[in-house]
Amino acid sequence: MFLLKLAFLNIGRNPRRSIITVLAVGVGLAALIFLWGFSDGTNEQMRENVIRLLTGHVQIHALDFERSLSPELTVPDGSAVLEKLKTLPHVIAVTERVKCEALIGTSEKSRGILLTGIDPIREAQVTDLKNHMKEGEFLGSTEHRKVILGSRLAQKLQLHIGDKVVVMTQAIDGTLAGYSYEIKGIFHTGSQVLDEVSAYITFESAQELLSVGHETHEIVIRLASRKAIPSFLGQVKQITNAEQHEILTWNQIIPEVEQWVQWSEAIIRTILLAVMIVIGVSIMNTVLMSVFERTRELGVMMAIGTTPTQVIRLILLETFILQLFGIALGLVAGYCVTFYFGKVGIAFPELEQAFSRSYMSTVTYTRVEPFHVIQSIITLLILTSFIGLYPAWKAGRMEPIKAIYRP
Amino acid sequence: MTIVQAEHITKIFKEDSQSIPALSSVSIKIEEGSFVALSGPSGSGKTTLLNLIGCLDRPSQGTIHFDGEEITRLPQQKLAQLRRRKIGFIFQDYNLIPAFTAAENIEYVLWLQGISSADRRKRALEICERFGIQALIHRRPYEMSRGQQQRVAVARAIVHKPKIVLGDELTANLDHKTGTELMGFLKELNEKDRITFLYATHDPVMMKQANRIVTLQDGKITNEKTATQASF
Repeated sequence: MFLLKLAFLNIGRNPRRSIITVLAVGVGLAALIFLWGFSDGTNEQMRENVIRLLTGHVQIHALDFERSLSPELTVPDGSAVLEKLKTLPHVIAVTERVKCEALIGTSEKSRGILLTGIDPIREAQVTDLKNHMKEGEFLGSTEHRKVILGSRLAQKLQLHIGDKVVVMTQAIDGTLAGYSYEIKGIFHTGSQVLDEVSAYITFESAQELLSVGHETHEIVIRLASRKAIPSFLGQVKQITNAEQHEILTWNQIIPEVEQWVQWSEAIIRTILLAVMIVIGVSIMNTVLMSVFERTRELGVMMAIGTTPTQVIRLILLETFILQLFGIALGLVAGYCVTFYFGKVGIAFPELEQAFSRSYMSTVTYTRVEPFHVIQSIITLLILTSFIGLYPAWKAGRMEPIKAIYRP
Repeated sequence: MTIVQAEHITKIFKEDSQSIPALSSVSIKIEEGSFVALSGPSGSGKTTLLNLIGCLDRPSQGTIHFDGEEITRLPQQKLAQLRRRKIGFIFQDYNLIPAFTAAENIEYVLWLQGISSADRRKRALEICERFGIQALIHRRPYEMSRGQQQRVAVARAIVHKPKIVLGDELTANLDHKTGTELMGFLKELNEKDRITFLYATHDPVMMKQANRIVTLQDGKITNEKTATQASF
């Protein structure tokens, strides 16, 4: 207790230097919390964009369908599996799709697309596609020969609402199938994959086009949250057949998102380490100066019976107190700034094209992820304490006689 | 009873590959309750001898027994524990801890002994009262005169009832009156509480207070007198 009091008093002896050190720790930590918040916000949005626009949380296909997109690979017992899925816990909504590679064209231009047949009502419960209509309207459930397509695709083919397009693909029997469709809506999601190469027709229209009868290619499941995926996977295995069904999570379907997250987190950890070292050196400098200025005093303390261990403890306590004040400041400042930008967002409208390739949104909402905040604080404490050992060790090794008579 | 017994101690300082002898085969015994002055001109080895006896430094040769224990090879941690229990120091510049008040400076020595907070405060207040410095307990060193700081330093040196109190040029920074008062005060502690004092001085007035004067010159003891002999 006495040592703690002395540590506090010593810190107060040079308030300007102590405040600068606390500010260095605080600003450094606040910057790290914000940086993590920005990264976590971006990553979370990327994950959710993929899930809410494209994949749902989990998909069930026939084996090998996702790789080959062969129209004959329909989900075995699709209807039965679909019904059983609705009864499982964590399941919010389930829908089914028919999917194929197709050619869309006018009399003048054509492009390759990914054509998806959807049940408009159930699709809206699983994905947010309906909320991204830029022009026209989303598909109605009984509408045949109507299509909605991505804004970039429409732009490239110079298509507008009400225009007619021909969609052609290979049917299940190997014949070339094609129908004319009227453009009912144009969507804009910000994702290049969706906006440039995707078109949607109704589920029944797609079944008719591909001649798959009442079969389905893809069952898409939306869960309460991503955290529910592991337990859901355990349950879904019991209602499917491993030899017939392929169960894929969103990050298995689009693995590049998690790869991007790992890459961005590696960069942040590198920055984190650099900032920590700067903070650590700043603390070491302060404490080392303080030890140097108090050499004689520390010598007297040792002469009257303070052991080298107690001197080391005193110096470490001073370092720790500076760290704690800095961490408290950094925590409050970092949380406030991150919370604020989590509400208002940070917009990058000029980067839409770059972001569209990686499912990123043009407005990033920062996010406080407790794990990363705690990780930053623990790393800061460990690293700066480790660096702070040097002045403490130096003080503890002083010989009282030399310290007292130091000129 | 002998508190300190130094035998043939030699101290050689090394500076820029030069060896500077500070003490040369000095032997001295300090008995409990004695009031011993170390005299001699500057550079005679008084401070070096005090530092060796006070376990602040180690001799190059020879042995020192403190309270029956051979101390020359003890590690720093053990030496610190011995100093805190058995030795009191009064430094020339008083060297109080600037961040602490007078009371805290005194209490700090008791805290090192592991004494409880309430006991520390009680004993610190008692000694302040005895030394007439109770009005200073909340003052920090820079708020006190040199004489007041010296009194606090003396209180700090004896509050834990050490076996011996070592002082280096105790009155060098004090005016004659304050210096004489201080020495009278130490003498009183020696006589009433049987505290052993060993102090270095080259002030003849301060030497007169001692009941034994050990004179050093060029790192050797050249003369030893009792108070009676000194008065002749």
